[in-house]
Amino acid sequence: MKASYIPLIAAAAMLASCKPTIKGVTPSSGEANFSYYVAIGNSLTAGYADGSLYRSGQENSYPAMLGKQFMTVGGGEFRQPLLPGNAGWPAPKRVLGYTTSCDGVTGLGVKLYAGASDTSGSSTSISGQGPFNNLGIPGIRCVDYTVPGYAAIAQSLAGVGYAARMYPHPATDRPIDIAAASNPTFFTMWLGSNDVLGYATNGGEGSGTGGAMPTDISTTAAFEASYNAVVDAMTLKGAKGVLINIPDVTTIPYFTTIPGRGLVLSTPTQVAALNAAYAPLGITFTLGANAFIIQDPAAPGGLRQIKNNEYLLLTLPQDSLKCGGWGSVKPIPKKYVLDETEVGYVRSATNTFNEIIRAAAIRKGLGYVDAHSYLGTLQSGIRFNGVTLTPTFVSGGAFSLDGVHLTPKGYALMANEIIRVINSTYKSSVPQVDINNYNGVLFP
Amino acid sequence: MKKGFIFSVAAVALSSATLHAGSFQLNLQGLRQTAMGGSGVAFPWDVSTIFYNPGGLARLNGIQAYAGVFGVSPTVRYVPDNSGETYAETKRHLSTPFAVYAGGTLSKDGRLALGLGIYTPFGSSANWGNDWTGRFITQSISLQSIYFQPTVSYRINDLISVGAGFVYGTGSVKIKKALPVQDMNGTEGQAVLDGKANGVGFNAGVHIKASNNLQFGLSYRSGVRMKVNGGDASFSVPAALATNFPRTAFDATLPLPGILTLGVAAKVTPRLTLQGDLVWAGWKSYDSLKFDFVQNTASLADSKEPRLYRNTLAVRIGGHYEICKQFAVMVGGAFDPTPSNARYVSPDAVDADRFSLSAGLSYAVIDKLSIMAAVNYTTTAGRQVKYEPANFSGEYQIKSLVPAIGITYKF
Repeated sequence: MKASYIPLIAAAAMLASCKPTIKGVTPSSGEANFSYYVAIGNSLTAGYADGSLYRSGQENSYPAMLGKQFMTVGGGEFRQPLLPGNAGWPAPKRVLGYTTSCDGVTGLGVKLYAGASDTSGSSTSISGQGPFNNLGIPGIRCVDYTVPGYAAIAQSLAGVGYAARMYPHPATDRPIDIAAASNPTFFTMWLGSNDVLGYATNGGEGSGTGGAMPTDISTTAAFEASYNAVVDAMTLKGAKGVLINIPDVTTIPYFTTIPGRGLVLSTPTQVAALNAAYAPLGITFTLGANAFIIQDPAAPGGLRQIKNNEYLLLTLPQDSLKCGGWGSVKPIPKKYVLDETEVGYVRSATNTFNEIIRAAAIRKGLGYVDAHSYLGTLQSGIRFNGVTLTPTFVSGGAFSLDGVHLTPKGYALMANEIIRVINSTYKSSVPQVDINNYNGVLFP
Repeated sequence: MKKGFIFSVAAVALSSATLHAGSFQLNLQGLRQTAMGGSGVAFPWDVSTIFYNPGGLARLNGIQAYAGVFGVSPTVRYVPDNSGETYAETKRHLSTPFAVYAGGTLSKDGRLALGLGIYTPFGSSANWGNDWTGRFITQSISLQSIYFQPTVSYRINDLISVGAGFVYGTGSVKIKKALPVQDMNGTEGQAVLDGKANGVGFNAGVHIKASNNLQFGLSYRSGVRMKVNGGDASFSVPAALATNFPRTAFDATLPLPGILTLGVAAKVTPRLTLQGDLVWAGWKSYDSLKFDFVQNTASLADSKEPRLYRNTLAVRIGGHYEICKQFAVMVGGAFDPTPSNARYVSPDAVDADRFSLSAGLSYAVIDKLSIMAAVNYTTTAGRQVKYEPANFSGEYQIKSLVPAIGITYKF
């Protein structure tokens, strides 16, 4: 009879281990100290998206994601200068909705959020609620960091008080001083995009070889001095961190959505009319897709067809293309075009600035996040847990509706790339974020 | 007729053989066999030999009826890569595969036996929940099947008996997964695929009684292509995308492998019988899982999910100890190597090398009526895999405790 106990004992032992027991790697901080994390940067760091700043964008900023992950390795609370609402401030954010174009066709399109405003009080200074861990200021350039009274100047120039509402003394504070005073144990710094982006998003109307205005590309000397000064200030007390370089702005949907060969001629009559009109300039058209006519003061007659390596801006009024004869009977104004020369200036400056960033990382032994390369891989699609993100406007899911800034999902991709570099630089084990917990583009 | 049987069984045997293994196959078609690690091709314990070896049916003395039910509620845990101590687990859900058999020799000591088996050879239910990180690959999947197997068996002489049955399989599949499109509230889309499947095959075997103490068995269960024709695919997506995701019919095929089993049973003492099976499964046929949607759009293309399974060889052993005339106990164990490819393990079909232990007992209430109980414990080590088409990787572990109960009646 004794043998009959065997299965009973065996069964009891089995019941005790009916649940899986595997575990992941316990998070560890490695050689870094994440107890007080500060993020330095511009709109990408602030959580700007859909052409504006709003609360849920801030809550889903990549620094907020990092702050949350750092809590598993000794990080403290991550405080942000949150706006009161989600309508967008100061301008309403962009949303997808139904729009009717000049030719009477209604379809899915990008429009301004028309819901109730919930931004009252946004201009009021909240510096008393600081210090803040997220010091990202939409619009700020690297070269602005050493400018006394930057917050007040930006407010008067652009009418936007992103820095003014955060800084204790907007009229005198230098951004570099605010950054240094934050005294972090760990920091991330994604600075420099606006030193080329302002020029590019304005169609290269400013100086491509170096200037002081926001629509100019910053001079290399000013960029280098300012960048190194900020890095020195941040590391003065031994803080560790990562420097994130400047993405290739010419691959963002702001420049790639409207095709250069978007002039589609469907009848021989149209072709003949344009051929006749442009015969003196030697420009010919065919049935099907043709390159748009753009303004170019250097070309014969001040206009020419756009080339394959030139870009039309997302801000180009679609109705003017469809019904106003832009791009065919009238040239597209040059402020909506990033031409070959301008693209060259942008790429050259981006590479120069990224060399400065990389050198700073090496000099200070900091992590270097190559956002330029990483976001470049978006071109062929980045896949994560069953979702593929691409840079395609609206449907790609990575870029928000302004075509420049990322969606929360896109920011989450960056957060994971930053975490990857942190872990390899500092032998830490910071858990990655679950990208699928964050929104992409929202559809009606 | 006799010769035909022998010839076909032998021909198949040359190519391959076996019992279930891994993945969504269930090896729960008999109580005593389950208690003995799933082995049982060499010894016709009772009328459940209709499944395990139709060739053994003619060894039964008279007609039997048999019913058993199994309580399956496995837990699968997923630990994502580089994500700290977070993990996900499938929700516990009890499914109850069953087996019913009736049959035996038409007369006492007769040579011809007939029977019918109704059983559930495969099934799978994995519900990860609607919100887990892999929801764009799977939220839940439920595969169910019932096979009907009318069987005939013939005892050629005291040494050899053969048998074969025609298999008609019917089943269903229901799949839910999230779609990465979101409405203005952030709510994600969902796809629901629901279809009925059916397929045909056969099960044949030969039983050799070398002596009263030494028996051999060989069986082959053919592959069955379970086909879904005209399943229903429906989608919930934001209104602006509704035309991209039309409700449509779909076709799919789930190829179940052919299985060849070779086994031996030995009575080592008058009370103790030991048996063992070698089980070959032709999983290589499971190359990919295809869904063919009748109406395609830019967002809804036919899908082909690679599986790239490989053939497996499993080992099953067990012992049966008769404590007294009415009461017997059984123990056993098995090793089932996984057929799955570590680069293509999707969370809707998690698999790894399985180790199982089992035990059971049978008690004859009266001479004609026995009740049986069994328990099977199956576990896997943690297995690091990836599902490349979705760039979804991590470690999985499966644990399962299956209690079972059954009854058999001899007429």
